[in-house]
Amino acid sequence: MKLAFQLAYKNLVGAGLRTWLNVGVLSFSFIVIIFYNGLIDGWNEQAKRDSIAWEFGHGQLRNAGYDPFDPFTILDGHGVLEQKQAENLTPILIRQASIYPQGRMFSVALKGIDANQTTLEIPTQALRESTAAMPVIIGKNMADAAKLETGDEVLLRWRDKDGTFDASSATIVQVFETNVPTVDNGQLWISIEKLWEMTGLQGHATLFVANEKYQPEQIPGWKYESQTELLSDITDIIATKKVSGSIMYLLLLAIALLAIFDTQVLSVFRRQKEIGTYISLGMTRAQVVGLFTVEGSMYSIFAMTVGSIIGIPLFTYLATKGIAFPTASASRDMGVAMAERIFPVFGIQLILGTILLVVIAATIVSFLPARKISKMDPVQALKGKLQ
Amino acid sequence: MTSETIISIENVFKRYPVGDGEFTALKDINLQFKRSEFAGLVGPSGSGKTTLLNIIGSLDSPTEGRAMVLGKNISELSHRESAWLRNKHIGFIFQVYNLLPVYTVFENVEFALLLQNIPADERKKAVMKALEWVGLADMAGKKPDKLSGGEGQRVAIARAMVKKPEIVIADEPSANLDAANTHAILKTMKKLNEELGTTFLFSTHDEKVMGYLERIVHLRDGYVEQDEIISPKSMTT
Ligand SMILES: Nc1ncnc2c1ncn2[C@@H]1O[C@H](COP(=O)(O)OP(=O)(O)O)[C@@H](O)[C@H]1O
Ligand SMILES: [Mg+2]
Repeated sequence: MKLAFQLAYKNLVGAGLRTWLNVGVLSFSFIVIIFYNGLIDGWNEQAKRDSIAWEFGHGQLRNAGYDPFDPFTILDGHGVLEQKQAENLTPILIRQASIYPQGRMFSVALKGIDANQTTLEIPTQALRESTAAMPVIIGKNMADAAKLETGDEVLLRWRDKDGTFDASSATIVQVFETNVPTVDNGQLWISIEKLWEMTGLQGHATLFVANEKYQPEQIPGWKYESQTELLSDITDIIATKKVSGSIMYLLLLAIALLAIFDTQVLSVFRRQKEIGTYISLGMTRAQVVGLFTVEGSMYSIFAMTVGSIIGIPLFTYLATKGIAFPTASASRDMGVAMAERIFPVFGIQLILGTILLVVIAATIVSFLPARKISKMDPVQALKGKLQ
Repeated sequence: MTSETIISIENVFKRYPVGDGEFTALKDINLQFKRSEFAGLVGPSGSGKTTLLNIIGSLDSPTEGRAMVLGKNISELSHRESAWLRNKHIGFIFQVYNLLPVYTVFENVEFALLLQNIPADERKKAVMKALEWVGLADMAGKKPDKLSGGEGQRVAIARAMVKKPEIVIADEPSANLDAANTHAILKTMKKLNEELGTTFLFSTHDEKVMGYLERIVHLRDGYVEQDEIISPKSMTT
């Protein structure tokens, strides 16, 4: 086996340009695969971190009547928890409302949140500290969409407990920056005490966000979703991204593998005399098949080396500096948190997995043509007469 | 020198399927070769020389009859056993040298020893010695494409000889060489034959080569026409 590696190495280096073309394409695939997946993994981690910090906390206890994907459930999907049951939970009450910046109407989810909470990063202290009659905070996307700024007054209309419309002027006391679209787009945050007052739903909440000390328990009428369950949507969306992206680099890998396959087919045909010579020198046909296979898989080892020379500094740089995504806010419309700057994560699993994938694939496409050698007649091979 | 028979061809036929029928390339060949013979198969093109040499070299096997080489029945060897026989005991020299182009002269000669897992320092000694035999010690680092035809064939001789095989098979070794080179390589081979006792089997239709042979087996249309002892060395001892 060691001999096969030595010989394969010499043959490849001796083959010159063709070798380096194959190695070039293959190492490019290497880099693209690792880059793309590293980027997605980085995005995934960041999206999860952000979603935990801004929205999910350590889990959510939702009113059984509330379905976050069905806005019609907001109306009745709320309830009250006993004092003891609400420990380590931050209540959020959701109401439908509209605002009228510059006379245009925007439907919003009016979210009352405990202004003293520290579980989420939503800057609720601004609600607490403000002296305005009806302080609200909004995210940057929302502010951009509604053309609102800190200090602006906007007309807010909501339904009170009797179902009749009520309206008042709200003050934007802070515009916060977040990567999480679901706490930003179409959301208006207000102190829950204020919202209770406005709606007469004293003590009610649509959902509660748990902090790290919360111990989930069965409470009739409420449904607990753990952090993992909440994150699974992100994981799913990102997994889909991963699959759709993989088509691109698998195509690239296929081209590289095809080039190796082609080289191998040609090699087996053109190097008949050499094959005959190996056999005359005392190699078995199986050994020659091994040698040609190792030659093919060695492309992947060369490619790994070249890929490392380019990849290690490149990936180290990207992982520390991040990659700017000026269009991140557009991607947020898909509902997954995306930062303006993503820090790719190049995990050991990703790198080893890619190496394994490429080496195994290269070995297989090298073995398939090389296998023909085992059926070669050495006499015909020496004459170079095989078709 | 012993008179031990190391190659014994008994009633050997070789037939190739051709179209609907078959073509008989070797017809009832019976030949014995003793250790340290310097013998040649001579005959026109197509007379079966290469076919017979390939059978003796265990690259091919007879369709019928028995070919015994160094006590082994060629037809009964597994791939592994015949590879081992070629690796240890049989050296090949081809008309077109068949040097491996990406290896240096040294590495070409070293190849058979690598397959035998011989330690590096021993390999080096043996390779340099073999290159000295053919007068190419100073070319060790060159690639084959930098060599002249005569040098190429001398490297091939060194490659065949480096493992000190019992038998060297040389199929038309002078076909691509001029007179001077032909004489040079034959002198080298004759010397090795005498010093090491290696058996040399040639195929040729080159008069210059024939001049060195101690025994000439004339082949025609696949059968032995005449088995001619020129110099009795191998017979007397
Ligand atoms: N694989 C084969 N199939 C059919 N005929 C063959 C094959 N190999 C050799 N022959 C025929 O056998 C005869 C002897 O060939 P060969 O031993 O190469 O002759 P020589 O070496 O004396 O020129 C030739 O007529 C050749 O065409
Ligand atoms: Mg011939």
